[in-house]
Amino acid sequence: MLRRFLKQDLVWAAFLLILAAAFGLVKHWGLVNLSFQGKLAAHLEEVRAHRRQVQFQGVKTLKLAQAYELFQQGQTLFIDARKPQEYAELHIQGAVNLPPEKLREPDNPALTSIDKARRIVVYCGEANCDVALQVAEKLQSQGFTQVAAFLEGFKAWDEAGYPADTSK
Amino acid sequence: MPKKRNWFLLRLLGVVLGGIFFYAGLQKHYHAYEFAEAVLAYQLAPMWLAGVVAAVLPWVELIAGGLLVAGLKRRSCLLLLTLLTASFLVILVVTMARGLKIDCGCGLFFQTEVGPVSMLQDTVLLVWAGGLYWWELTAVSSKQ
Repeated sequence: MLRRFLKQDLVWAAFLLILAAAFGLVKHWGLVNLSFQGKLAAHLEEVRAHRRQVQFQGVKTLKLAQAYELFQQGQTLFIDARKPQEYAELHIQGAVNLPPEKLREPDNPALTSIDKARRIVVYCGEANCDVALQVAEKLQSQGFTQVAAFLEGFKAWDEAGYPADTSK
Repeated sequence: MPKKRNWFLLRLLGVVLGGIFFYAGLQKHYHAYEFAEAVLAYQLAPMWLAGVVAAVLPWVELIAGGLLVAGLKRRSCLLLLTLLTASFLVILVVTMARGLKIDCGCGLFFQTEVGPVSMLQDTVLLVWAGGLYWWELTAVSSKQ
């Protein structure tokens, strides 16, 4: 008896799945079509870039080569906006860890010790994380004048083989 | 009487579970491109399939969740949700094993990373849906 009901339920579940597939494909045909054409990733990047332009307008951004050039000059402070555990694993050499939650702490010594006119580059894990932009925007609102977000993030830095370490 | 009370409680649990999935489906439906980004981040499916998953999965949650709230085809909806959460649990385990630190795309009210919290959340939903299904199945077959 149990088996008969299970079979019935499976048939109905399959029907509901087909119904969901039909609705989903019709409602999001644009998305499905882009993915069939292999253009989904590029389109998502465009959408993300547009959203960031609107959401974080006024925040300067840097490419990997520009960030590395500043690193080589040695004057720039790199801020790692990832979680402390990720920072402890590996980070850009000389970077300090400042995740968004630390920015909420009033009179945070990590912040008060930084010269407001110093050049700062903020980064997070990879290209699709917004944390670097959030932290850069927050720093700007707190009076830091030369802040930029390095959008490709630590993943790109590490893959390029640029200097990274585990020390604090 | 206690049986009736149990029945009411279990039905209520079904409605709440349906509501959770309906809400989750609605979020994904209205933010389909963000959800597609989350699906792609798992690096498990080819791009064409990621698009299909991002389009269809919200509707699975909307239909199963909505029908469960309405009290229609409850067992089939619970079975579908059980299979869905079980598959997702496997995906979470594989993703954790691969060491990917990505947004799970499964957070209801805030972003949740793939990790112990998202696994616990999915396990609770799996036990919830699977338990209710088993209860309904045994109840109906014992009546026959």
